[in-house]
Amino acid sequence: MQVRVDSDLCQGHTLCAMAAPDLFALRDEDGHAYAPDENVPAAQEERAQEAARSCPERAVQLS
Amino acid sequence: MDTEESRTEENRAGDAERRKPAISLDRLSSRYRLEFEELSTEFHGKCPVAWNDTHGGYWFTSGHKELFDLARRADVLSNDFDVEGVRRGYQGISIPSPTGERRFRGGFLEMDPPEQRYYRQALNPYLSPAAVQGWKPVIEEITRACLDEKIESGRIDFVDDLANIVPAVLTLALLGMPLKDWDVYCEPIHAMVYTPMDSPLYERVRELQMTMGVHMMETINGIRNNPRPGLIDELVTCEINGYRPDDMEIFGVLLLLIGGGFDTTTALTAHSLEWLSEHPDQRERLSRERETLLDSATEEFLRFYTPAQGDGRTISQDCVINGTEFKEGDRLWLSWAMANRDEKVFEDPHTIHLDRKGNRHNSFGLGIHRCIGSNVARATFKIMLTQVLDRMPDFVCDPAGAVHYDTTGVINGMKHLPATFTPGKRLGAGLDETIAKMQRVCDEQRLAEPVTVRKARAKLDD
Ligand code: HEM
Ligand code: SF4
Repeated sequence: MQVRVDSDLCQGHTLCAMAAPDLFALRDEDGHAYAPDENVPAAQEERAQEAARSCPERAVQLS
Repeated sequence: MDTEESRTEENRAGDAERRKPAISLDRLSSRYRLEFEELSTEFHGKCPVAWNDTHGGYWFTSGHKELFDLARRADVLSNDFDVEGVRRGYQGISIPSPTGERRFRGGFLEMDPPEQRYYRQALNPYLSPAAVQGWKPVIEEITRACLDEKIESGRIDFVDDLANIVPAVLTLALLGMPLKDWDVYCEPIHAMVYTPMDSPLYERVRELQMTMGVHMMETINGIRNNPRPGLIDELVTCEINGYRPDDMEIFGVLLLLIGGGFDTTTALTAHSLEWLSEHPDQRERLSRERETLLDSATEEFLRFYTPAQGDGRTISQDCVINGTEFKEGDRLWLSWAMANRDEKVFEDPHTIHLDRKGNRHNSFGLGIHRCIGSNVARATFKIMLTQVLDRMPDFVCDPAGAVHYDTTGVINGMKHLPATFTPGKRLGAGLDETIAKMQRVCDEQRLAEPVTVRKARAKLDD
């Protein structure tokens, strides 16, 4: 599984990082999210899905 | 009949045709507050986007999906409040539109890009998660002092003695204002929200507001002449799309920052504490399992109580979205509150589940105007909540003394929430002394610098 944050959609709600702190980092200046490593370890897949479900802007993309 | 008139007639007939389904709900009436759940369910089933014929008529969006599809359409929505009538005459984000002396622009919340985007870029580094991290020791210390003032007595008013104070002191710290002046702002900002202009108390609120306004102007000028770090310093030095904002514009932004943060955080905290008092088993569980439960509980309280119930927009060009035909100039209400109860997205929507998953609530808004203060709000709320759980674990709120706002169509707030608890011991200095100490910490460590300049957490003991 791969995870991406669509930076055009992300508004920095930070809910993705709450759901999966190991998969997302928040930029210091504005709290917008990015995935430092797009490859999701198998053990983190459930959390990645929870992050995608929690994002109010639907900016977390899984593939 | 001349053509001008016949076109108007035609428009009117067309309007009647497209403004369907129609509802009639005065959001400022007690019906909105008392029948909120029934109305939400009814609208979600029947008319997730409806024409509400009260307050001059406006579109009312209550469905979660419909709201999602609309709120992010900055290309066809405007937040502009054109007070002077020099652009398109749009009326900003309040429905009904403000009258009389309340007619001024609410900072960048009532602007569109590109200006609004410049403001956010300028202010984000003061309010981002990383910036807020640095403030936590200060928030904890002010909260500790508020509780110490009451801990020996076994009585507290969670609104007056805690939830009004901490957000106010912190906001002033972020702005770079003297912390001891928090009480210049506290009462008028809250009272402004819940005192209608025809109330006998309005005169007093007005006087407090005048004092507050003078204080704001003096501070803006003071910081212009003697720079000190904080949001105000940013506002007096920043460039917005090639211009320097004048004093009136800065005044509006300042009022937005102060007004945006006080009443909402207070409302969230008070409602959550009231609910926890009514559900002592859940309170115990939250306290015990806070490691895993505090984040989801916070989001659930945000969803359920939706402190800012909704915001208005103006349609800026004709468009059809999900089958609804919108015309330029139409007014629109985005009901964050009702969308947060949509059963298509939230199972058992009218019940609080502290461990709710996939909680895609809209309580901080959606899209480009999403709350810039959400990180501050969450941190402040969590610190106040956990300290109460630790130090007053058996608190009981007094339902007879709890006062909710009469109208909750804009802010779902509370005026008072008295409670009793088993008295405990003080841990440190009282509020005034603590505020003086925090002032020294702010000044010496330049805490209000943006995160781009300063990253370290506040240090309280030297
Ligand atoms: C629980 C607390 C809070 C809630 C529920 C809340 C809610 C909201 C909502 C719903 C919006 C979007 C309005 C719209 O789209 O029309 C918003 C915007 C805003 N909020 Fe908050 N807010 C809270 C706390 C704060 C705090 C603490 C601050 C200041 C530090 C703040 C400052 C702002 C500002 C400046 C905007 C305008 C953003 C823009 O237009 O770009 N809010 N807030
Ligand atoms: S939850 Fe969504 S909007 Fe918020 S930071 Fe994560 S990706 Fe961005």
